[in-house]
Amino acid sequence: MEHLQELLFRLCSAPGMSGAEEAAVKAAEQELKQYGAISYDPLGNLVCQMGDSGAKRRILLDAHIDQIGLLVAGITERGFLRLAACGGVDRRALPGTTVTVFGRELLRGVVCCLPPHLVEGSEEKVEPVDKMYVDVGLSREEAERLVTPGDRILWEITPRTLLNGRFTAAGLDNRAGVCTMIRCAELLAKEELSCSVTTLLSTREEVGGQGAKTGAFAHDPTEAITVDVSFAGQPGVPEQKSGKMSAGPMVGIAPTLDQEMTDELVRLAKEREIPFQYEVMGGTTGTNADSIGTARSGVRCALASVPLRYMHTPVEVIDIVDIENTAKLLAAYIREGKVWQI
Amino acid sequence: MADITLLQRLCELHGISGRERQVADVILEEISPFATTVQKDALGNIIAFKKGAKEPSVRLMLSAHMDEVGLIVTHIGENGLLKFAEVGGIDRRVLCAKPVLVGGTVSGVIGAKPIHLLEGEEKGKSVPVSDLYIDIGAKDKADAECYVSPGDFIAFDAGFHRERGTIISRALDDRAGCAILIDMIKEELPYDMTFVFCVQEEVGLRGSAVAAYTVDPQAAIVVETTTAGDIAGVEPERQVCHVGQGPVLSFMDRRTIYDKPYFDLAMKLAEEQKIPCQTKQAVAGGNDAGAIHTTRSGVRTIAVSIACRYLHGPASLIAEQDYHDTERLVRELAVRIAAGENAQ
Repeated sequence: MEHLQELLFRLCSAPGMSGAEEAAVKAAEQELKQYGAISYDPLGNLVCQMGDSGAKRRILLDAHIDQIGLLVAGITERGFLRLAACGGVDRRALPGTTVTVFGRELLRGVVCCLPPHLVEGSEEKVEPVDKMYVDVGLSREEAERLVTPGDRILWEITPRTLLNGRFTAAGLDNRAGVCTMIRCAELLAKEELSCSVTTLLSTREEVGGQGAKTGAFAHDPTEAITVDVSFAGQPGVPEQKSGKMSAGPMVGIAPTLDQEMTDELVRLAKEREIPFQYEVMGGTTGTNADSIGTARSGVRCALASVPLRYMHTPVEVIDIVDIENTAKLLAAYIREGKVWQI
Repeated sequence: MADITLLQRLCELHGISGRERQVADVILEEISPFATTVQKDALGNIIAFKKGAKEPSVRLMLSAHMDEVGLIVTHIGENGLLKFAEVGGIDRRVLCAKPVLVGGTVSGVIGAKPIHLLEGEEKGKSVPVSDLYIDIGAKDKADAECYVSPGDFIAFDAGFHRERGTIISRALDDRAGCAILIDMIKEELPYDMTFVFCVQEEVGLRGSAVAAYTVDPQAAIVVETTTAGDIAGVEPERQVCHVGQGPVLSFMDRRTIYDKPYFDLAMKLAEEQKIPCQTKQAVAGGNDAGAIHTTRSGVRTIAVSIACRYLHGPASLIAEQDYHDTERLVRELAVRIAAGENAQ
């Protein structure tokens, strides 16, 4: 598990906001290139090709590599940066947070907030993101020299280990999925595969899933499994809407997912004694599986999610063991899963 | 020039109110070779006397506080999550989704319900402290109890950064004041002076009250950080003071009306010595001066502060130049007060 923890640390230390995934993609490439042939496509998706590329069974494994963050929307007269959200940012997590601004140089900043001594009225209200500012300690002239609207901003936070193999970082949604992909490739590395396995680390999921849409078209798979994160149990989250930390991958069941593939994942998990749990959804899944399923003339699709707490905050939490078990389940499916006729 | 390495060393220590020992130990180590006498009192205040070249005509005490705001573990839930209370004044809006250290060593995070599951107005509302909790990764209560217990202190897990003329760190309030006092103790002084490093400022100015009683000074300078509201979105009249415009002199806050002749002396000195200087343009907050100036039969008291943004948050910000200029002004002012200038 220790090497998995180090891998996750490296993946989470590389920034990769939607549309600016380069550093995160490079970090993943460093890991994946030993297992297959690497290529890129026009939207910046990283593709790693393993197995027999001429095989009839062509499996696409998808995990989005981008993470949510902020953009510089402008610079005020006194050098503060105006903000726009890039993806579903939780504004409650922003006041007082230290951030990195990816300008011409890296700048450290703080999201403005008043000290309690000067707060008049209620502490209840949190301003919307477009009324928040980042302080980089510079005058307008200096700020304009180093920062351009559109520059990315991410919370500055070092990944940390918690007790019991649990791990906290920003962007575990979905570096946990990326880590699962790399671990799965590692598990299969020394084997002769009779199928084609295309790992797609897709971009822009948090702003609409454009990477997976074009990636699924380009690689024309016969089947696909998306790995993402989903809600783990925590106070305030109803039990029926959440999975359990450390209890294995959440296998998705939904009208938009392929029932036979899902059944096959469950069969293999039971046979191989890989812990797993169900995540039942009534329609679409809110993941890349939704768009991959309708690529070209249609792709049968399954979904496995790593349970995660505090989603879309800078302190997301997962258990490494859930990544390991998700990777094992994917590897088992690739090795022994049924071959679908259509 | 004020010593920034020392400031960093102090800021990286943990010392919420009532748990200042780590800070006190380092301060003792720093000042013991230079002070004439050093003592610790029953509450944990450090009182250091430094003999100068001459006897002062006014017995002067300089004061800074060692403690910082933070959190304290109140309860461990069956689910292994920790409930906590605030120690000192913290705006609850800076708590959500921050990394913390429990007991100085155990990593944790302050959890929040995912934004996807919030309904309607919830998205724009801060989470009340009673609904927040800390996740250290414990599987359950028994597991958590192996690592933490109620009463353990909790601090924001945030580093010290110095770049482009600014310093960003937690606990600048008031390790910056402590660092300035330590710098002064390390040099030869023209007059005898007493320096106190106080406990429990953030929970009611308790340390300074007893330290001032013990020292029994005629005059006091409180060296502090103060609330800079000069940020985007705040109207000019509510900004209080400005980062980068020099040390801040208070005429009045919620606890003290400051000594006018000493306030005037400080203004005059700043002009004489060409030290940039500003007044605190609001009656807000309060500091150890509130307790010191009413000690025994009264102490003539002035506060010199560094303008600090995001006070009582995980990352407060000062200008490096303000730190140096504050130290210069405090030194000059101390000498002139001890010499008897503007004494009644």
